[in-house]
Amino acid sequence: MRRLSVDIGGTFTDCFLEWDGRHIEAKSLTTHHNLSVGFLDAVSRAAGEAGVPAEELLAGVDSVRYGTTLGTNALIERKGPRIGVLVTMGFESGLRLSRGRGYGEGLPRHLQVDLPRATRPRPLVPQSLVVGIQERMDYLGEVLLPLDIEDVRVKIRRLVDNGAEAFVVALVNSVVNPAHEERVEEVIRDEYPSSLFGSFPVILSHRISRRKSEYARTMAAVVCGFLHEHMFYSLGTLEDGLRDRGYDRPVLLIHNTGGMASLESTHALQTIHSGPVAGLAASQHLAREYDIPLIVATDMGGTSFDIGIIERDGTWIYDFHPVVDRWLVSTPMVYLQTLGAGGGSIARYDRLWRTVEVGPDSAGSDPGPACYGRGGSQPTVSDADLVLGYLDPEYYADGTISLDASLAELAIEEHVAEPLGISVLEAAKLIKRKVDANMADAIYKEVATRGFDPKSLKLLSYGGGGPVHCCGFARALEVKSVLIPPFASVFSAFGAGNLGQLHIHERSAYLVVYNPLTREMTLDTSRVNAMIEELEALGLADLTRQGFAAKDVRNQIEFDMRYGNQLVQLSVLSPVQRLKDVDDVLAMIEVFSHTYAKRFGAGAAAPEAGIKIIAVRVLSWVPAEKIPLAGQNGAAESRPAARYRRACHFWTEKDPVDTAIHRWTDLQAGAVIDGPAIVEAPHTTFVVEPGWEFRLGSAGEVWMTDGKGRGR
Amino acid sequence: MAVAKTKLEKFLEDTVVFLGPDREILKDHGLAPRDDREERVMRDHKDPHEIGLVRSKLDVIAEEAFDQLEQTGAAPGAKWGDLVAGVFTASGDLAAASTGGVLLFSVVCQPMLRYILKYWKDEPTVGIRPGDIFTSTDPRYGNIHTPDQNTILPVFDDEGRLALWVIVIVHEGENGSVEPGGMPSAAESPYMEGIRMPPVKIGENYQHKRDIVTWLQNSVRDPMLQIQDMKIRLSACLKMKERIEQVAQEYGWDAIVSTLRWTLEDTEAEVRRRLRAWPEGTVRSIAWTDSTLRENALIKIALEARKKDDELILDFRGTSPQFINRSINTQLHALKGMLAQVFLTFVWPDLPRNQAVFAPMRLMSDWGSALDSTPEAPNAQSMMTFFPGFTALQMCVAKFLYPTPKRYTKLLAPWYNMITTFIYGGLNQYGEIVGNLCADLNGMSGGAREDEDGEHSIAPIFAAMTDLGENEIIEEETPIVKIVPHRLMQDNQGFGKFRGGSGYQVIGTVRRSDMFGFMTTCTGSKFPTVYGLFGGYGAPSYPLCKVKGVNAFEKLKDLPESKWTIPGIMNEQPFADARYSTHHMGMQFEIVKQGELYMICQGAGGGYGDPLERDPDAVMSDLRDQLISHLTAKEVYLVAYDERTLSVDVEATERRREAERQARKRRGRPFDEFVKQWVTEEPPAGLPYYGPWGDRETIYLGGPANKMARGTCPGIMMTDPREVRIAELEQKLRELGVELAR
Repeated sequence: MRRLSVDIGGTFTDCFLEWDGRHIEAKSLTTHHNLSVGFLDAVSRAAGEAGVPAEELLAGVDSVRYGTTLGTNALIERKGPRIGVLVTMGFESGLRLSRGRGYGEGLPRHLQVDLPRATRPRPLVPQSLVVGIQERMDYLGEVLLPLDIEDVRVKIRRLVDNGAEAFVVALVNSVVNPAHEERVEEVIRDEYPSSLFGSFPVILSHRISRRKSEYARTMAAVVCGFLHEHMFYSLGTLEDGLRDRGYDRPVLLIHNTGGMASLESTHALQTIHSGPVAGLAASQHLAREYDIPLIVATDMGGTSFDIGIIERDGTWIYDFHPVVDRWLVSTPMVYLQTLGAGGGSIARYDRLWRTVEVGPDSAGSDPGPACYGRGGSQPTVSDADLVLGYLDPEYYADGTISLDASLAELAIEEHVAEPLGISVLEAAKLIKRKVDANMADAIYKEVATRGFDPKSLKLLSYGGGGPVHCCGFARALEVKSVLIPPFASVFSAFGAGNLGQLHIHERSAYLVVYNPLTREMTLDTSRVNAMIEELEALGLADLTRQGFAAKDVRNQIEFDMRYGNQLVQLSVLSPVQRLKDVDDVLAMIEVFSHTYAKRFGAGAAAPEAGIKIIAVRVLSWVPAEKIPLAGQNGAAESRPAARYRRACHFWTEKDPVDTAIHRWTDLQAGAVIDGPAIVEAPHTTFVVEPGWEFRLGSAGEVWMTDGKGRGR
Repeated sequence: MAVAKTKLEKFLEDTVVFLGPDREILKDHGLAPRDDREERVMRDHKDPHEIGLVRSKLDVIAEEAFDQLEQTGAAPGAKWGDLVAGVFTASGDLAAASTGGVLLFSVVCQPMLRYILKYWKDEPTVGIRPGDIFTSTDPRYGNIHTPDQNTILPVFDDEGRLALWVIVIVHEGENGSVEPGGMPSAAESPYMEGIRMPPVKIGENYQHKRDIVTWLQNSVRDPMLQIQDMKIRLSACLKMKERIEQVAQEYGWDAIVSTLRWTLEDTEAEVRRRLRAWPEGTVRSIAWTDSTLRENALIKIALEARKKDDELILDFRGTSPQFINRSINTQLHALKGMLAQVFLTFVWPDLPRNQAVFAPMRLMSDWGSALDSTPEAPNAQSMMTFFPGFTALQMCVAKFLYPTPKRYTKLLAPWYNMITTFIYGGLNQYGEIVGNLCADLNGMSGGAREDEDGEHSIAPIFAAMTDLGENEIIEEETPIVKIVPHRLMQDNQGFGKFRGGSGYQVIGTVRRSDMFGFMTTCTGSKFPTVYGLFGGYGAPSYPLCKVKGVNAFEKLKDLPESKWTIPGIMNEQPFADARYSTHHMGMQFEIVKQGELYMICQGAGGGYGDPLERDPDAVMSDLRDQLISHLTAKEVYLVAYDERTLSVDVEATERRREAERQARKRRGRPFDEFVKQWVTEEPPAGLPYYGPWGDRETIYLGGPANKMARGTCPGIMMTDPREVRIAELEQKLRELGVELAR
């Protein structure tokens, strides 16, 4: 297999090359002015490693796939065109009101509950660019008020006069009957043909999401419109650069659905968070390679802690109304929870409880932890890690950042130790224990609320801070085993290499499966089957357009179901491709019942309140070959000698512990190290806590195991 | 003699007709004294770091239960967070609650638990045992009002001792009351307010008793909702119990019991410390409610707040007497719960959400007043009096906080305080009987802040991160069609240096059902309920508007854009032959004919500071956003500008403002002169006035002709408005008869 995967991050462009069985990692700085420069630089480095010219490499790989944070960054920086939004008359304030709760979307809980400080983010669309047009559909798609074409023309001109550079059309109930949205697009094209001013991008909300919820769908269309031009210009240029270098196959863009597609089959919203989702794809690949039924993937960076849940045999867990930056949108996105806990999380004395609290405020990377010596004076998790002896001041981040332990001690002393009346060391232990407990609690909540048993899982830990703290939060969770994956420094790129083309099409429905008043099964199966066929056809068109044969396309049918009128809609994997009779419907109910009971408890199921289907979804994909890894623990066991020893401190031990210090570069596959020990790698540090064992696998993965665990 | 007395006592004790509401329990909102176990475990488990870890776990458990309830609840209220989950000490004090949801729900559970402990614990026919499930919905025992339903589960430790309680509460809505939706303004007695359950055991062995479930379903209009949400509440409680047992395995039960108690005591100490930093003194404010929801009535809510050392005394004596046959009365503990919300959401949002935050506050009130009603007074719409009570406290607290150097959030003018929404009921388009309320009540607007404007329709005063919902979903589930669901109303804000948030207008009707109706329950149609702060303006008043005798769906295509607003429709009356009318917002349930329009407007937040100090550029920005009219820009903010370009003439603006400042001085009067000119001895005749006028010892009961000494009025009986109307019409008939006879 020859496959090139790239993850264009905010700082680095990571590259993973599979080249005839060789796994090659390469990194380059992201070049924001022209992404192709950094991209091609990373490719050149990988090519150099592989011993082939870059052009030959590009000509030789079966595919190039990449993810990018471009959209995320553009949203944060508010870099986008002026969008004119046409909504149904009477709904003009919907965007700015953002369902009331929009002030708190994307914020930590303590800010959400502080109503006097509650302030909505600056809108992507100013109110002067939102207009109502005379039209109205009802919930069944019946026209209540016909579209007034003259009114539409007047409003379009008004928007252009006010500076609109792109249009979003988001009309109520357009997911049931899109006729009015489509007609508005025609009028825009008629008013402003591309021959006149160049093309005004026009985004119709029902093409972004077929799910009912006018605010979230409008916001999804607005985000797409906001990112559309910039992204497609940048990415188009990037792809042109590849073609200039001899690559002539499809370039595939990673989607946050856990799939990928060509640029012209992608809308901008699908690229948001694609990097972290690719990391989850890598985790899923590992779960299958290493036969782990349930993995919780954790990514601990400098400012955040991402949590994702992966079932070896299950499908992705989706969030259908995710929050992107500060905006609630309607789009299926692989579920990922982000918390404010990282190496930069600030520790402080909590006067109320007379103890230490950590986060969610973060020192970030600028000024960063106090020990960076860049002006940060607040103690952070990394400062505590340094004081406890886990980090080598001279060998942090591959020696690129020199750490000052005295600054870390000073910050901890002033802000934590002194107010608590304890030593700096004791304070650092408290910080470590507290941040580990916070992460454990967060994992617990995520796992438990999804209906999984926290004790049955294995943790996957990556990101710069993960290996430092994974024993700590695993211990707090009573989890006995942690896997630190191979290729951790280019993990998302590795994940991208294992994705296949995937398209998700769904549409809202309101189908009563069981009517408790009449005690009848009322599902119109032919209607459901017609919807499935329509959605399958859309997926098929997407994939054949990209050159796949129809015979290779696979479809997975899902129903979003609920009892009565509850909010939650659980995704139920259909046991059949088409519903033939009541037995198929009963089988579907059984799957729903089982899924529901697993998540909320069997006693919470209330079929007597009625059973409904709220959405029908089809996932269409073409199976893709995965990157093979070396078998687990294939290498002979060895017990490497430590480079040296130094005193480290663990909250479980009263006294300092004389700890073996290893260098990653000294270790061979099969190396086993008993804790307490430290393994210093270029991009992270492994803290093997007392009672834990470090084991290096054949593919470069590390298994941390609580062999002699002492409970919590 | 002594023996005879004991016999008498026993006779009296055994011969109780009814173990009704316990006033002593309801009056006491302080923390229960430490019990023996708490004394012991607090000595053994006092490491604050370990307690912090346990507390974090309990918080996570409450959050998880909240999330589950929000996801699985069938009641509309559950979907937008009108619920809460909490952990209570064995003595019944709330120690940990979910950060989401309506905290006051859980604060008012304390009396229910104390009732259960006092009356049922040792009662052989009831008792408290593992597996028992209790509930209580009657507000006379510690709930807000009857549509709020809860599930109460005692949790026992490994040795069979009661260790704590877990409770979840959801605003379920429909409860079989005289009007659908559960919050009847038509109720003339507590017995018209739906199912009233005192603390009662509804299940054993962690299972509901089917006969009781059936009885409850039989008592409401929506039996599906009743059973579904009973199940999900129980399921959430069981999950909390299971999680807590896992924590106990890790840390031990004693550590949990100790954590709960330390949490409360540490919180109370912190609140007292913060109160000490406030200036000493007394501040006063008055809030008004202008309707009983059945008729106009100007009802005084008077608050005098006295701060001394580490205690705050909230003296509501002198508030209007209760209305015996109107549902707007408040039980004292409900008022306390709402006042606790002021501190937890608007003053100290950083504090943990537990009972101790309110413990240092002392309340004074008149038993039998509208804020401290007796059990005979209905209270399904108690919000109409305790929400203004909340506002009165917001005003008082602002005065204390202004000179306090350390604040924990922003100082702000009052938040809008009424539940502007359609409560609905009837047959939906699928033939199902439904009854509940729209989530529009969550669109209360924020008060202006000390350094920035308030936010438009953002959140109710009682919860954060609620949801206005999506109209496409509402239309799919109910026959309600909102022609204008969310359109901010021009000039609908408290003006000021910083303006309050604006509220949106709603124009709604019904389609595909002939058996579906609305009711509305707000006050403030004639006299505002929200006021400005430090020179800012208050919110306007908001009538209910109706257009009847028309099917708007047939006419919408002829409605020009300028008329898609309440003023556009009401002022210009675009539908020929339709009937246009305005009303106070206390509309009893009525069937809505398809296409007839019902129009309401979300209220605004109060303004902060003198409008003459508002940045003229901010005024222009509001103009551009159509939040204000040119009239307001020119006459309230006194900005001179070009109407076409909206460019400000800075110097001319300053000249206009300075001239107004000088004019104000000229209009000013010495205080004595002002008093002489303005103050009257009694309320004017013809004003339906309730409460004290000058000193609070004399209470007026509808006007100057009817007054009593404070504390002597058992309650006011109002005449049925229909009787009043009939009497008016009969009088007219008589007059016409006389005229014809001439």
